[in-house]
Amino acid sequence: MQLDPITFEVIKHRLWQINDEQAVTIRTVSASPIVVEGNDFNTGLFTRHGDLVIPGPGSLVHVTTIDTTIKSIISMAKEFEDGDAYLTNDPYLGALHQNDLVVASPLFYEGELVMWVGNVLHHADVGGIDEGSFCINAVNIYQEPPLYFLKVVDNGRLQRDVEYTFMRNSRLPDTVALDLRAQVGALHVVKNRLTELLREKGVETVLEVMERSVDYTEEKLRQRFAEIPDGAWETEVYMDGDKRGCTELHRVFLRLEKRGEELFFDYTGSDAQVEGGVNSTYHACYAGTAVPIYTFICNGEIDWNSGLKRVVHVEAPEGTVMNARYPAAVSICTLGFRWLATVASMRVLAKMLSASEKYRDRVCPSWTVSSNGTNVFATNRRGKRVGALLSDHRGGGAGARSFADGFDNAGMVTSFLSFMANVESQEWKLPILHVFRKQLIDSGGPGAFRGGLSLITAFTAYGTERLIFKNFNTAGTNQSNAAGIDGGYPGSGSQATVIRGSRIREILSSGQKAESYEDFGGTVEHLLSKSDGILGPDDVFVFYSPGGGGYGDPLRRDTRLVQDDVRNGRVSPESARRRYGVVLQDNLEVDAEATKRLRETMIHDRLAGSQSSAAPLPPGSDGGDKAERIGEYLERISLDGRRVLRCRSCHRICSEILIHHAPLSEAGPWLALRWQGDSPDFVLRKSICPGCGILFDVSETRTQRGAGSAGLG
Amino acid sequence: MSFEEPIRFKDGERIVRVFIGVDTGGTFTDVVLLDDRGRLTFDKALSTPEDPSRGVSAALQNCMEGVERPLSEVLGRVEQFCHGTTVGTNALIQQRGARVGLVTTRGFEDVIIVGRGPMGRNLGIPVSQAMDFIHTERPRPLVPKELIRGVVERVGVDGRIVTPLHEESARAALEELAERGVESLAICLLWSFRNETHERRLGEMARQINSRWIVNLSCEVSPLLGEFERSMTTVVNAFLSPVMSRYTARLQENLAQEGLTRPVQIMKCSGGLTLPEQMKREAAATVNSGPVGGLVAARQLGKILGFDNVITTDMGGTSFDVGVIYRGQFEQEHTPFISQGVPVQIPAVRVVTIGAGGGSIAWSDGRRLHVGPQSAGAQPGPACYGHGGTEPTVTDALVVLGFLDPDYFFGGRKRLNPVAAREAITEKVARPLGLSLMEAAAGIYEIVTAKMSDLIRKVTVESGYDPREFVLFAYGGAGPAHCALFSRPLGVRQIVVPYTASVFSAFGVATSDILYTYAKSEPTPLEEQPGTIEHFERLFQDLEERAWADVSYAGLSRDQVILTRKIDLRYEGQMHEMTLECSREAIDSAGIARLREAFESVYEGKYGQGTSRKESPIEIITFRLEALRPTCAPELKPEALGPEDPSPALKSERRATLRGEREIVCRVYDGERLWPGARVLGPALIERRDTTLFVPETFSARLDGYRNICLSESHPGGP
Repeated sequence: MQLDPITFEVIKHRLWQINDEQAVTIRTVSASPIVVEGNDFNTGLFTRHGDLVIPGPGSLVHVTTIDTTIKSIISMAKEFEDGDAYLTNDPYLGALHQNDLVVASPLFYEGELVMWVGNVLHHADVGGIDEGSFCINAVNIYQEPPLYFLKVVDNGRLQRDVEYTFMRNSRLPDTVALDLRAQVGALHVVKNRLTELLREKGVETVLEVMERSVDYTEEKLRQRFAEIPDGAWETEVYMDGDKRGCTELHRVFLRLEKRGEELFFDYTGSDAQVEGGVNSTYHACYAGTAVPIYTFICNGEIDWNSGLKRVVHVEAPEGTVMNARYPAAVSICTLGFRWLATVASMRVLAKMLSASEKYRDRVCPSWTVSSNGTNVFATNRRGKRVGALLSDHRGGGAGARSFADGFDNAGMVTSFLSFMANVESQEWKLPILHVFRKQLIDSGGPGAFRGGLSLITAFTAYGTERLIFKNFNTAGTNQSNAAGIDGGYPGSGSQATVIRGSRIREILSSGQKAESYEDFGGTVEHLLSKSDGILGPDDVFVFYSPGGGGYGDPLRRDTRLVQDDVRNGRVSPESARRRYGVVLQDNLEVDAEATKRLRETMIHDRLAGSQSSAAPLPPGSDGGDKAERIGEYLERISLDGRRVLRCRSCHRICSEILIHHAPLSEAGPWLALRWQGDSPDFVLRKSICPGCGILFDVSETRTQRGAGSAGLG
Repeated sequence: MSFEEPIRFKDGERIVRVFIGVDTGGTFTDVVLLDDRGRLTFDKALSTPEDPSRGVSAALQNCMEGVERPLSEVLGRVEQFCHGTTVGTNALIQQRGARVGLVTTRGFEDVIIVGRGPMGRNLGIPVSQAMDFIHTERPRPLVPKELIRGVVERVGVDGRIVTPLHEESARAALEELAERGVESLAICLLWSFRNETHERRLGEMARQINSRWIVNLSCEVSPLLGEFERSMTTVVNAFLSPVMSRYTARLQENLAQEGLTRPVQIMKCSGGLTLPEQMKREAAATVNSGPVGGLVAARQLGKILGFDNVITTDMGGTSFDVGVIYRGQFEQEHTPFISQGVPVQIPAVRVVTIGAGGGSIAWSDGRRLHVGPQSAGAQPGPACYGHGGTEPTVTDALVVLGFLDPDYFFGGRKRLNPVAAREAITEKVARPLGLSLMEAAAGIYEIVTAKMSDLIRKVTVESGYDPREFVLFAYGGAGPAHCALFSRPLGVRQIVVPYTASVFSAFGVATSDILYTYAKSEPTPLEEQPGTIEHFERLFQDLEERAWADVSYAGLSRDQVILTRKIDLRYEGQMHEMTLECSREAIDSAGIARLREAFESVYEGKYGQGTSRKESPIEIITFRLEALRPTCAPELKPEALGPEDPSPALKSERRATLRGEREIVCRVYDGERLWPGARVLGPALIERRDTTLFVPETFSARLDGYRNICLSESHPGGP
């Protein structure tokens, strides 16, 4: 059949609109802040085989997993009829974790199965050992929430037994009941509208548009990848603790190879699966890996659909944290190793893009690298049990870009609609009182362009004597994972702290200052990344979302930008001096002379002790026209038939790159708080040009102690 | 332009009174003049953005030519003078408002800087832009961090004072802001709508420190839940109120000098009018009021024509706006985004916009054909304008296809260059896609028309309405060429192209109601203990007291004003509320049960059967009150209908091309010469000075007694 571009555009636009109606219904009907403000849901239209064609604007990680789930439903249910809908939250069938309930339904037209429609939504509590169902106390899947695979609508009728069972297992039955109705209602809306479209435009034409839309994404991605130089890039990221009380480090190793028109990701070398619920299933790992490709490479230009699966390949050995085997616990998967897949993928992609002249404007090394989630449950003053996920982790910073600073309080890279809740809205819902919520000074990774700032929040109980908290932080209490690139430093770490027995009541009633731990008094307890406990009236909970990493050498940052940052409380005068080499006078004017001297001294210190030297190009030989960009300051050229590295700043050949190590605190004051800023397990590894002292790279690296026997050089 | 029978100012012995509506738009300032017999005339002049009051005067002068009377005489006869202005909108977009200082609760100074994370960046812009994660910059905050001060104080969720206001440091903070040259002050503390004490005290202190400050208290401007949105509303008001107060005062003064004795009423985005003196409190409400004027006009015209359910469509050079009137009521948005990252808690008539206009650019990536969202705007404009534009636009496609006559654009006031249109489409679309010129042009026309259909469908269906129960109004210069085709798949009952289509917003402004709205958040469970009913009644009475104060201030008499009570309800935990009318009688214990029933029935109507849930608790979030003085503008007077046969107005015949290279021969009628009662059968084109209407083969078009063109499908017989 011949499909012209005009009919294609007209029908595809209509499919988009129809699918969006699902999202509107869910957002309006849902009673759960993580759905309405966090946008942790998505909707989609699928082929009759379950391949995603039209995704909604919800959470991106769901885009690639709903179709896995539908395929599971197809193979398990075998027979289904018009008017049926299934639900499942089984991560081994395709859900990201047990909170994510997929509801999907086949669409029949004139007796024929023509497509599938579905949506997935994060339910606030679906049972399991811990409140909120991110089970930091579980060590196997049987302690986690129940797994469902049920027919929820039979011949158009909502099955009350199914609804009852689902509600009965939740600590928040009213909330999940409304959300389930939202999901079913959305399917109802979308199926009616699709039927009208099929009648109007003809089944064949509509199906052809769907197929072509997927082909088209594949084709455009191939074109785009072909324009990027081939190469291979590696990275490693760490999780500090897989369950409550755990301090062990778990490693993710990722190698990306770009060959021709395709990408090959390989997680071989990552750690074996763990006891805690942070493990990732293979499809969650795939979904996490794909996120930055959608956001930075497709962005608004290439449709987001399963065409991507044809050109992006992900290898993850079975039995590792990136491809866990049943019955490994997985209830924290989405904020666990799935999240780290996105963090690792973003980093290698940033390196790949930094090597491309054409696409270097899309480099972004990090973006809210950890989800510092906190569920709070309590009995409110009306005697009712309430509980919800706080939203402050959506205030994390994004990595700097090659042309500008990173976004402050950027939200999630998985969704452009994932918002923080108002303080007033959180206090209306939960018996808490916020002491402050503000941008965290010095949390952005230093660089020629600064990483985005994060947020610091403190709250205490209000109207109750007892709050239960469950903190499930992806990672960040030891190292930050908030990588910078091309000489930019990492941003601040994702962490949480409880102050026990503080003076908070007195502070509140008298209006005294409450800015530092000294102000609060009491005992400061920096939490491990998976923690829980009870907060009494004199306790204060403080948490930090992660900052963004920097781009480029901070000593190359425009002094006026540093000055502006100090004036607006984004960078402290001390950091300006120590990390950017910028000296400000008392009136915050730049002292140009002192700055020049200080920056020279800092470069001098970088080069001190170096035996190696960098040579200028021998006269007459110019490898410049065959220069192959590696990153902002480094390229590869041909010299006497050899490929050698050359600094793009001083243009000298670097036969050897200087390596220095420095404590994490060199990046900023908010890393590894539980080690007073300097973790024994990680240091900064700095790669320096021996010619001009510019920073080629700064990364967090595991020390001998951190690596145990398998130490890194 | 005017009726056959011109407005006469000597009508026997009777003194004729007039109603004037002036709407300042981006390009033109439009004037509509209506006399107390319901006869109307209208005209326009170019807008003058540097001093918009000059454009207002010029447009009034132009309009006087039609009635052949001096402006001073006409202004002296004005009963009501209403004005829609873009001064506030432009000041906001260009960030040229007052230097605002913001005072807030200590520890929460960054509320507007953080902007609820990505909300401050990604809402209020098209989705395709938000999807570009890395390039979409955050807008500059309306208040820089250095002009934000936290004061020591705290109120809890229950309205209890947790930390008393520390006056000494607060005074120091205010003095610092004064030293830094702050002109206008916004004060927004946490939970201030539950306990106003601290905000009011700070207001007093601020006035002592600088008596010229315009002090905006959030508990007055917007006593609603949600500190980010409440702060933004207060800040936007502080930002715009000096600008709007100055502008309206000057305009009032200028017009008074020219003879106007009545106050200038200013149009708001709620679809009602307010007085210049109210700008201190309501400046932010004037933003985006322009498109709302069109909806007011549509409601007024709908009432005259007997249409309760109307879809409005306004297609201009860059955008396509859609609104809905259901059972004579506007749809309201409680917290619209008035620009990128700027939400305000000001009820606005809902108008949904996409970038699809005459200037929308068609482009191809070699495989697909896209139209918009980029627009060639007025400069350089479509390729056929000959102002140096080389990108093919929708207007170019219409010229190539034969729908527009290059020699009779804007009534022949502008000549179009068809060669440039053909070249642009060939170069940028036809060749890359391997299509013929005509197929490419027809494709552009069809895609943009389909996008319009989709938007209308989205706007109606999303609200739970069936477009088949609606009449569609098409106005704005570019709409009539598309309206028959974009309406067809929706199955609307009829299409109306109003006689005043080119000045429709001004017509709406002239016939608008006076409307004041009040709201207060008071989160409360619906099914509550004893005392609830008395509590609700007290809240409404507080709002009514404020309303009556404003009513008497505006010189309106109480018996002209209708008060309506409303509440916003939701299931506990939801983020979106549904607004229900709540009569005085509704609030008793049986009334509360009725409210639940009403809520669930509206809910199911909107989200489908079975979505509501009897067992789930409901909470009230906000109490609202509207004070409405219905318009006193006279009803239009219809003309007698003439014969049906339109041939005396026939100008020529022209070939037009549709998809599949299908050529049709259209009769071309001079729209200015058609009379009430005339009936045109498709295929035809009706050319008015400011727009061209396409009547497809199976449609017929009839002029009614008000000279509106009514289009409907499947005419009997045929040519």
